[in-house]
Amino acid sequence: MKFTRSWLENYINVPFNTDELCHHLTMAGLEVDDISSVGKDHVIDIDLTPNRSDCLSVLGVARELNSINKNYKYSSDEKNKNINSTCGNLKFKFSIDEKNICPRYGFMYLRNISPLCDTPKYISQRLSDIGINLVHPIVDILNYIMIDIGQPMHAYDADKINGEISVRLAKKNEIIKALDGNEYKLCSENIVVADSSEIISLAGIIGSNDCSVTKSTKNIVVESAFFKPNYMANKARKLKLQTESSHRFERGVDYNLPKKALMKLQNIILDNKVCDFSDYTLIDNENFLPEKKEVKIDFGKIRKVIGIDISDQDIEESLVAIGCDYSKKKSIVSNPSYRYDLNIHADYIEEIARLYGYDNIPVVSEKISIEPSKTYAPFKAINKIKQYLYDISYSECINYSFVNDDSLENFTWDNKEFTNHYKISNYMSLEQNKLRSNLTASLIKNIEFNNNANSEKSYRFYEISNVFDGKLDQVLTCVVSGDKQDENWASKKQKFDKYDLTTVVEDIGKIFGIAKSELKYVIKEIKCNKKQYIALTLSIKDLINKIQNIKTEKFINYSKLPYIRRDLSFLIGVSVRYESILKLIEEINVHSLKKILLFDLYVGKNIPSGFKSMGMGFIFQDETKTLTHDEADKCIEKILKELKSKFKIELRK
Amino acid sequence: MPGDTLKNDLKKVLDEALKSINDIKNISDLEKSRVKFLGKKSLLTSLMKSLSDLSKEDKSKAGKSLNDVKTKINNLLAEKKILLSENSDIHEDDFDLSMPGKASAVGSIHPISKTMDYAIQIFESLKFECVEGPEIEDEFHNFTALNIPESHPARAMHDTFYLANNYLLRTHTSSVQVRAMDEKEPPIRIIAPGKVYRKDSDITHTPMFHQIEGLYIDKDVSFSNLKSIINIFLKSFFEEDNLKIRFRPSYFPFTEPSAEVDIEYIDSKGNKNWLEILGCGMVHPNVLDTANIDSSIYSGYAFGLGVERLAMLKLGITDLRLFYENDLRFLKQFQRI
Repeated sequence: MKFTRSWLENYINVPFNTDELCHHLTMAGLEVDDISSVGKDHVIDIDLTPNRSDCLSVLGVARELNSINKNYKYSSDEKNKNINSTCGNLKFKFSIDEKNICPRYGFMYLRNISPLCDTPKYISQRLSDIGINLVHPIVDILNYIMIDIGQPMHAYDADKINGEISVRLAKKNEIIKALDGNEYKLCSENIVVADSSEIISLAGIIGSNDCSVTKSTKNIVVESAFFKPNYMANKARKLKLQTESSHRFERGVDYNLPKKALMKLQNIILDNKVCDFSDYTLIDNENFLPEKKEVKIDFGKIRKVIGIDISDQDIEESLVAIGCDYSKKKSIVSNPSYRYDLNIHADYIEEIARLYGYDNIPVVSEKISIEPSKTYAPFKAINKIKQYLYDISYSECINYSFVNDDSLENFTWDNKEFTNHYKISNYMSLEQNKLRSNLTASLIKNIEFNNNANSEKSYRFYEISNVFDGKLDQVLTCVVSGDKQDENWASKKQKFDKYDLTTVVEDIGKIFGIAKSELKYVIKEIKCNKKQYIALTLSIKDLINKIQNIKTEKFINYSKLPYIRRDLSFLIGVSVRYESILKLIEEINVHSLKKILLFDLYVGKNIPSGFKSMGMGFIFQDETKTLTHDEADKCIEKILKELKSKFKIELRK
Repeated sequence: MPGDTLKNDLKKVLDEALKSINDIKNISDLEKSRVKFLGKKSLLTSLMKSLSDLSKEDKSKAGKSLNDVKTKINNLLAEKKILLSENSDIHEDDFDLSMPGKASAVGSIHPISKTMDYAIQIFESLKFECVEGPEIEDEFHNFTALNIPESHPARAMHDTFYLANNYLLRTHTSSVQVRAMDEKEPPIRIIAPGKVYRKDSDITHTPMFHQIEGLYIDKDVSFSNLKSIINIFLKSFFEEDNLKIRFRPSYFPFTEPSAEVDIEYIDSKGNKNWLEILGCGMVHPNVLDTANIDSSIYSGYAFGLGVERLAMLKLGITDLRLFYENDLRFLKQFQRI
């Protein structure tokens, strides 16, 4: 809402400079968005919250300033005189079908508008100062009255109206050709003003093109009505059509304004000799006007909730200052007709706090019992993982949860094919039309982006986020590509392989005391646009569930007697999984076998195809006596025998 | 007695070694000295060889004395070596302190998670308990239970992404408030951090961003308590005891009274400006009533922080969109932990 300082001074004295004025407005909840200069005047733009429709006019802002600070005194209270009309009113019949929505409908007839007449100078000046285009002298005056006192009005070309005027609900699929040049298809929840043949305006929102006022218009019907805010809410938004008028009606216009606005119009027209005008007519159904809400004031509660020491009398004075009716005997307050936001006791608590000044409310800490603060377990776990990944040189990324139809998006995080995406019905762009089912695609895009922008040869990215794949999991995904390390002088270039990510899984397991085999994870090599990526995804949700059942770590005693190590190198079929070798050895149950170490894995030259060479170290130790070499050899023989019979391994020389 | 001779010889060796090692000026002389006193042709070695002539008892006794002297000389040589290398300007090898190290092992943590984590730590130290809620919400938890009915003009403030069956992406973490009030009995003292979504994309808006919601419900919770907690948090977060903070009236459907909080910010030209940093207020009685919490007994405050905003101010980031590009030139600037 824009207005000029001088316009405001039309209503109240402003004994402050503009910066101070704006500070007062902001601190009262009427946030000043911008101050600019026009000539010697200042244009003030306030950003009003939706509850303060009472301040959508210069009069409203003046009223607010007067109530928050006694120094803003009303200047000459501009009174509209009762004046005699210069022509008769309309012969049309008006019928209000929807009295509940439109309990007050005022209108007036303007005649003999000369094509040569001009908008009054002060009005055109004030409108153009705040950036409102001049359209037509009458329309300009109506716009001016709307900004000045807050009543939206509409002008119809009287000669284009056919027959009876009614305020009714639209028929399904009824169409209005609006004066913004667009056609709008309506439904039965829209309220319209219609003549006998068609809709002449979408009530309180926009007029029809056919009945709009043009240069050649000679006679005008002016509408000054009250439409209830709860019926107006959402209607304009649903049609994607917001006007100054709809903005005001859906937030709430003072129902006492239609008459005041018509009187003001008469005064302006007479003072400036614009045209002939009739008496105004008001069709009232007072039973349907909004009821005043009575609230019993609880002084103690006001003091307690705000945390201030304010007297009953000061509270009462504040309520009267904002225009409420107050009955001292019953401590009952009721809201002024322009304050739709004052309904319940809490609303009055806010008013008292506002008038007291938020800045004047003391700062008092609550009393809280002393106990150790708790860290939220899932975040604690995630932070440990982030710290670990930081320590091994991974960079954390955060991506939007939205994706497009990328091929990788057809897989869930654990690489199951997935088509049942969460689709966003009102997406902003096709690039972002569904929720992602995995983080891999996002991270690959991040690497591609960096590859174009930077000269890195090694990428180690990760992200921890929710994925939307039907199960709504939270996962960690690491994607690596290229060299294992950033370029440096000391180490030979080595490419990442899948086992590098196996280490990450094992380490994360160790951090929480969970075996790798217990974790839910996938490691996969992906080729995308001719580049290799390796991706690890681990279910954080699953990990966090498991952590809850992990017991605290406990010491296990170990033998300090000498150990014996035996190394074996053997050939084994490539398809034999390491896990099954370990399982077999475990089944043999060699008591003194303390540790198995895989120190070599080789496939290639000198190894027959279909085989791999493995070097394993076996460490033996006894708890009670020094182990002899003979005993160790016997254990190795036992292990070898089993491995030979089960997996057909052969020892390498 | 052979023992006495040995004793004298050893004393002589030790004295000579002491004096000679003390006089050494460089590393090569130190090596010569080592050969002289401990080498194959040294007196000590020959004495060691002569032990075989002695009785078993004498042998072990003499052996011990010999070893003691040997250890002492070794120690002297080692100490001198350290002394010499410390004193010399020229290093004995070509180790270059100014060379870059080998591959760095340090990664980076995204400034948003860093900021979020920092804020969470402060609130946890102020005894707020962290809770989470779903990103896919229903209209009840996101709007209705927060006093935002279908027809409310405030719904226009939240341009919402809808999924099938009227599910939506939560537009604020306030929805977690509703769930917490369902599950817990007062006193409730929680924060709810997480991702939120709004249909908005320009220089100052991204369709996804991060919020931290705070809620405290108990008997006798007042607006002055709210002012206190916000003051404590902001001063702690910005590590600035003299931070200027102001509260001004605002409007949110789920709080009454509502406030917007500004902090004083000095721009690059030295101008003082007020910068909007968060929204807060006293929980609206309708919200308490919907959650079956008796608003005549309990009151509460709630606040909502924009994590991106906090991160931008704290780290001096000027373009919101940088957060979601994941450019290494951006990410790698946040290596401190």
